[in-house]
Amino acid sequence: MTITPAGSFVWLALHELRLAFRSRATRGAARWIGYLLLAGWLVIGCITGWALRDTPIPVPPEAMIGVLAVSVLGLTFMTAQAMIGSQRTLYERGDLPLLLSAPIPGRSVLLAKLLGIAATIALTYAALLLPIVLPVAILGHSRLLGLVALLIALALVAAALGLALTLAIARLVGPRAARTIGQVVAAVLGGALFLVTQLLPQDEGRSSTFAALFDRLRTARIGTSGISALPGHAALGDPLAILVVLAVGVAAFAAAGATLERAFLSGYLDGSATVSRSRPSGRASARLFHPGLTRTVFAKEWTLLKRDPALAFQIVLRLIYLVPLFLGLVGGRHALPIPAALAFASVLITSQLVGSFAWLTVSAEDAPDLLSVAPVARAQVDRAKLLAAFAMAAPFALLFPIAIGVQTLVGAAITLVMTVLGGGAAGYIELKLGKPGKRGAFNKRRSGSIVAGILSLLVALVFGGGAAGLVFLVSGGIAVP
Amino acid sequence: MTTSALRIRGLAKSFDKPVIAGLDLDIAAGELYALLGPNGAGKTTTLRMVAGLAAPDAGSIEIFGIDTQRDPLGAKAITAWLPDEAMLYDKLTPLEYLAFVAGLWRMGPAHAAAEADRLLQWLDLWEQRDTRCEGFSRGMKQKVALAGALIHDPRLLILDEPLTGLDATMARLVKDALRAQVDAGKTVIVTTHILEVAERMADRIGIIAGGRLLAEGTLQDLRDRAGTAGMTL
Repeated sequence: MTITPAGSFVWLALHELRLAFRSRATRGAARWIGYLLLAGWLVIGCITGWALRDTPIPVPPEAMIGVLAVSVLGLTFMTAQAMIGSQRTLYERGDLPLLLSAPIPGRSVLLAKLLGIAATIALTYAALLLPIVLPVAILGHSRLLGLVALLIALALVAAALGLALTLAIARLVGPRAARTIGQVVAAVLGGALFLVTQLLPQDEGRSSTFAALFDRLRTARIGTSGISALPGHAALGDPLAILVVLAVGVAAFAAAGATLERAFLSGYLDGSATVSRSRPSGRASARLFHPGLTRTVFAKEWTLLKRDPALAFQIVLRLIYLVPLFLGLVGGRHALPIPAALAFASVLITSQLVGSFAWLTVSAEDAPDLLSVAPVARAQVDRAKLLAAFAMAAPFALLFPIAIGVQTLVGAAITLVMTVLGGGAAGYIELKLGKPGKRGAFNKRRSGSIVAGILSLLVALVFGGGAAGLVFLVSGGIAVP
Repeated sequence: MTTSALRIRGLAKSFDKPVIAGLDLDIAAGELYALLGPNGAGKTTTLRMVAGLAAPDAGSIEIFGIDTQRDPLGAKAITAWLPDEAMLYDKLTPLEYLAFVAGLWRMGPAHAAAEADRLLQWLDLWEQRDTRCEGFSRGMKQKVALAGALIHDPRLLILDEPLTGLDATMARLVKDALRAQVDAGKTVIVTTHILEVAERMADRIGIIAGGRLLAEGTLQDLRDRAGTAGMTL
């Protein structure tokens, strides 16, 4: 840090890069598991590089299209990440008060923060990409280093886009709603492309939607010619293409710095003025007081969830990633009959939901000490919280059994029982194996409870498979019309 | 015979190193007792064990004759703990928070509602009763937390550095509230590292350092023992 003048942009940027790197570091067993995985990945990369060292790698047009598709998909994920990073910078307690009260130009602060966001994004994907790419590149295919340039360019563009979108949302809906809506938009953006590809009409005779999409792109020469071929050429080491994509990334980054400084500062100032919401209920206060621990706990958990719509949305949005599975179950050549597919989906979805809500109620308790000093047995509180989690998931859990009931009542009853068992098991696993965390870190909750995640999935598959099998038997295998 | 509100014998606790080492303490019912000591002396650790937030490595704790390790729920039922950082839910209003605390202490709804209304008015929180706590100042959060500690009418009230970060008006309000509790026959224990706070609030002061009680008594007793007109820590 002493090689650059203190307070300069470079000095600040190095500081942000250091923070970005340290924010990825984990502790304890998770760190060693991470090192092991990285080492394993590197070994695979070295083996691959050694095997390919004297072998020319062919580059068919499909590879170029593939790079373009992955770049676009990656950009949406990265932009969602950048939006969340921008929201954290603007609306959560951090070092902005310190930086903005120091004699450092606001633009330097903005660019340094953007660089930190871009670095965080790039590091995430670099951990997956570089252990493979670097050995292969070093052992005879140096042109693949273009992938590194493409990654850097995408991260820079995503950071600029993410901040611009966040500030635009803040201007449209105000700072208070911006946090909530920003998180919702980021969540939808992350899954939008993925979901759209699943909803595209499938061509007859094609094994998958992706293959159909590939054909359309190839026919239209998208990805193989013109500007759309830039990502592909850059990834394969074309110096001009590399320069162009990097220039685009740097230009987006510089443009964000030049145009968003004022919006960034006012966004920060607006966001830091937390004003309490007040909505006089007009109700007698006695109605807020409930007899019994279960009702008391449920009322509290339900109120907290109601007042955090972004969090509730994130929980429900996770179900969107199950849609392809569901479509695969009911459509295509090897489809299950609908009741059986619905039964499987019912258990899977409910398990996911109960697990997520259980994490919120049990592991993400905001005031654990209050519960510890209260004259209530821990087991009683945990039971009440699990019931609250189950009740929150209940509306979704009932949908599929009702749908199945239209065709087979016995099937509906079986599905309901298996759904309750699967959901209960998921909640119990979270209770016993979940790690404490903050509600705002919902998307990272599994980082400390990998075993819980794996067990929950296994339980859901077992109960879901059982439900599907039993419903298939009792429904006589009713086929899709 | 004076009833013992808190009786500690041979209390010991270690983390990486011993924090409490053989602490004995007696606090009579109906007094305001200040546990005074420098940072790291073991004040908070001691009272966290009394409140049931941590288990001692050795020793016994009795709250009004109830052994906290044999009957933890019975002890908690008559105790209130108020840490220096309020245990609140940002997205709940003061009224909702009090409803939750009342539920945890199994108060009847009607009685709890009446007490909540009374406390909110007494602590000048009535206008904010339906406002979420997320935008409250530190002082207002402390008031909400204090209301939560008082709503279930505890016999023993434990407060960790209750005046830290409060302005003069809030500090006066908290002191008056605690004195009112003592006047009503409750027992109050506060920790502080500031002698002036202990001077102005407490009936008796215990000085703790290195996990041991070094001296205790009224302020005059301690001054006489020290042989000086004023003491500093």
